[in-house]
Amino acid sequence: MIAYAARRAGLGAIQVAAVAALAFALVELLPGDAAVALAGDRPDPAVIERIRERMSLDEPAPARLADWIGGLATGDLGTSLVSGRPVSAIIADALQPTLILAGVTLVLLLPMSIGLGVAAARRRGRWPDRLITTTSVGLYAVPEFALAVLLVSVFAIGLDWLPPTAVGAGSLLDEPLVLVLPVLVLLARPICSIARLVRAGMIEALDAEYTAHARRAGVPERTVVWAHALPNALAPAAAQIARTADWLLGGVIVVESVFVVPGLGTALVDAVNARDLPVVQGIAVVFGVTTVLVNLAADLVAFRLAPRLEVAS
Amino acid sequence: MHLTAITRRGALGLAGAALLAGCGGTGAEPKHGGTLRAAFAGGGAAETLDPHRVNLFADAARAKAMYDKLADLGGDMAAVPRLAESWEGNADLTVWTVRLREAVFHDGAPLTAADVLYSYRRITDPEETFRAGQDLAPIDLDASRAVDDRTVEFVLRHPLAEFPASLAAFGAYIVPEGADDFTAPVGTGPFTFAAFEPGRSFAADRFADHWDGPALLDRLEIVVADEESARVNALLGGQVDYAHDLSATTARANEGDDAITLLSSPGSNMLGFAMKTDRAPFDDPRVRQAMFLLCDREALLESVLSGRGLVGNDLFGLGFEHYADAIPQRERDVEAAKALLAEAGVPGLSVVLDTAEVGAGLPEAARIFAEQLREGGVQVELNVRNADTYWSEILTEGQIASYRSGAMPIASHLSQRLLTDSPTNLTAWRDADFDDRYLLLQSTADETDRQALYDELQQRLHDEGGYLVWGFADWIVGTAAHVRGVEPAPANTLDWARFDKVWTE
Amino acid sequence: MKRRIETAVIVTLLAVPLALALLGPLVPFAGGERARPFDPEAPWPGTDHLGASVLDGVLDGGRGIVLTAVAATALAYAAGFPVGLAAASTRRRWLDELLMRPFDLLLALPSLLLVLILASIAPPTAWTLVLVTASVNLPDIARITRAAALDAAHRPAVEAMWLQGEHPWRIATVHTARSILPTVAADAGVRLVGACYLVAAASFFGVAGPEANDWAVMVDANRGGIFLSPWGVVLPAALLVALSVGLNLLFDRLLSRRDTP
Repeated sequence: MIAYAARRAGLGAIQVAAVAALAFALVELLPGDAAVALAGDRPDPAVIERIRERMSLDEPAPARLADWIGGLATGDLGTSLVSGRPVSAIIADALQPTLILAGVTLVLLLPMSIGLGVAAARRRGRWPDRLITTTSVGLYAVPEFALAVLLVSVFAIGLDWLPPTAVGAGSLLDEPLVLVLPVLVLLARPICSIARLVRAGMIEALDAEYTAHARRAGVPERTVVWAHALPNALAPAAAQIARTADWLLGGVIVVESVFVVPGLGTALVDAVNARDLPVVQGIAVVFGVTTVLVNLAADLVAFRLAPRLEVAS
Repeated sequence: MHLTAITRRGALGLAGAALLAGCGGTGAEPKHGGTLRAAFAGGGAAETLDPHRVNLFADAARAKAMYDKLADLGGDMAAVPRLAESWEGNADLTVWTVRLREAVFHDGAPLTAADVLYSYRRITDPEETFRAGQDLAPIDLDASRAVDDRTVEFVLRHPLAEFPASLAAFGAYIVPEGADDFTAPVGTGPFTFAAFEPGRSFAADRFADHWDGPALLDRLEIVVADEESARVNALLGGQVDYAHDLSATTARANEGDDAITLLSSPGSNMLGFAMKTDRAPFDDPRVRQAMFLLCDREALLESVLSGRGLVGNDLFGLGFEHYADAIPQRERDVEAAKALLAEAGVPGLSVVLDTAEVGAGLPEAARIFAEQLREGGVQVELNVRNADTYWSEILTEGQIASYRSGAMPIASHLSQRLLTDSPTNLTAWRDADFDDRYLLLQSTADETDRQALYDELQQRLHDEGGYLVWGFADWIVGTAAHVRGVEPAPANTLDWARFDKVWTE
Repeated sequence: MKRRIETAVIVTLLAVPLALALLGPLVPFAGGERARPFDPEAPWPGTDHLGASVLDGVLDGGRGIVLTAVAATALAYAAGFPVGLAAASTRRRWLDELLMRPFDLLLALPSLLLVLILASIAPPTAWTLVLVTASVNLPDIARITRAAALDAAHRPAVEAMWLQGEHPWRIATVHTARSILPTVAADAGVRLVGACYLVAAASFFGVAGPEANDWAVMVDANRGGIFLSPWGVVLPAALLVALSVGLNLLFDRLLSRRDTP
């Protein structure tokens, strides 16, 4: 298992490098550059040319990529083309609100979605199952912005129970109330997708021979469900949970913009719009590292839950 | 019939704004103290405190709180003295003497002519890319000098009758001599710097020694909320006291709400389409005229702006100083347009209409205008471009493109967009005679003669120019009910985002 | 009896949106002239963000979203399912790695970044939307298929088939594919719904074509006027939810019938 983890870690490093190169290539493919974006609605060609020189955009792309990789090797993510601030500082600022949002959401998400999935599977075909599956599918089809509009107009504007946005909040942790609505919106879809996978996996596991065997051997039903069936049911869901963590870290741009949370998703959109390549790449590296780690963790968990899978090879 | 109703409402709108402005000044007795929190759209990490580098509304609002310009623009785009006490041009309008007000910077140093010259040199530095650089380019700063501590003599490269408007250019703020680091800005403005986090928040405190009298508020906070719905929600939820740049839909939805006040400034935001006059099919004036005639302005105003605006007459600057309002309103005439197209030899004209999400209502207007053109037998393909690079692309590419413009003096519109060497000559309008008449206008000291030249140039643009101007959107801001003293004003004018005369009940 | 009620519910939920999607575009013109946007006084169901009748959008906007969602999901499955199945069924480690690692790469690239940039590079058309939606789903599908198939492919029954000399591809296609069908079908149902959602989200990012007006786009475009005239959001959203719930109930029903003959 340690050898497996080490091999995956090495692979992860290659993945991160590839993601950074891919991000560079994709942003290069975008029309225009940082100078054009900065000039905005006053596109004086002479001014654009001067901005280009100031940003060293007149150097060829491979040279700029090499520069950036050289910096990365020494732990330097470079400086923003537009603001001149270090990319690491920009990321550090944006990371905190996103981590808080994603963390709170994940902490609530896992017990809730697994609980719902197991509950639905155990009452398969009966009304609790129907209620959970139907509601979750219906909810899954509603885009975040629509759900956010609804929740804000009811709970913040109509009933005046909760703040409608996080505007001007120093730290999200200082004012926990502003977290309620964004977290609800963030939870809605992942709960649905994970609960469904857990339910499907659970149904399969509860029908499997080994659970039947355990029951015949007189193991209490509670133990059968939670200790025997659930671990096997979770294996396929683990990948989806990892994917959710990635999606959350992406900050769900919609939630950040509707609730005015200045997180990583907002920073990424701003940087892409401004063609601020060093910032885009810096954020891509952060995303890449996180995704690799989370997927690695998910695979290891799946491996622990159902060791037969890897042993077989 | 329909038209007269709209134009009458337009006129009423203007009068209404004037009325509201009057109320703001003379209503209840102003109160001192308190904090006001205002929400603007921002630009994330790209936001800056360097007053010369301003680019966004949020940047401009912050710069205005901490700095002053020599002049600013009134609601009709006429220059209003600020740090300048007075100005006077010589006979041929090439040398202007500006007398400075007695003012002090936040650190106690007095404002001097040297500060003004330093600021203008920094703005026009050829290595730099400041927005106001273009407006101040006519000044020969090597020849200009400080006559004494409070008098500056500006020597111009060519006559400029409208020079005072240059002093009010976007971002032409006066900084202390030598200032180059703006992490803790020092200006002469009504508020002193307290805190700044790019893309999030800004705070500033009252400056007791401001030359125009200290602000009424103790503290001003500017927070960033990019989404219009978020600004409205924050205002409705009491999280902010002022929300900038709201939509007509929002205004309609909250009309009867006592908790917030909506202030509209009519005629602030020009909306239209820019045709390239140097290439087919719009190099033929008859084809441009056909476009003018196919446009149903009232329908656009109604569908795109919910009627919250004024109908345009293919001219920039409705309601501004020097606007040619004697020119009759152009109306839709599909048959005349078809005849013009047939005469031009393109009865089955086919065009590509460029648009992008670069302003509220632009793609929507393009979509409806395309339908209107199709009613005239024109084939239209809509081409949605990337919003970040749109302006730069349509400067050289395409045939006809969605266009908008904020408020600025009509002379600036002419010089920046309609002269042969204009840097953003979007309609490729290059006409030596037009250039000469513009130069003559800027060399004419007599007001009446100059107005005659303004009228002449605008008549030409109305007849065969490349800008189809279908309307002007209201500029709408919202305030909480307890906020007083906010004046409706077009963006980037003196009373826009001005918080030193604002107070809270 | 219970089953009959359920059937009626499924039929109703599916019939309304599908009938609108199929027949709606054939209804010539319902709304009349453009009026003021979000006009609360206009005849029900009011006007949209451009002053056209919401009814027009409801009638015209079904076909696009159904086609886009189905095409994107089908495309993603056509590419992802065989790869995941092959990776799980093979006994050669290097083949598994070769098949799955490229997806890991795609997975490590944040989906948000992918949508955002692809949307900016490619011209906004229906096909862009299908491709973006499919490429976001592809790695997930491959991974989930592989995870589910790994489990099935190493059951004692399969091991026995191996020992009997059954052809590996026959085992994979017949036995494994069949046994992972419940998990995959649950996933496919949700993914079809997810595709509807992605089309709406893409519209939020500006990927929708210039004159697109499908139900998902309507939800985004009309949300600004929800306090003036809610139907522009409520009707298309309700149709999308009905379609999604109906489809999933149908999937579940078909599966349970297959399991219990």
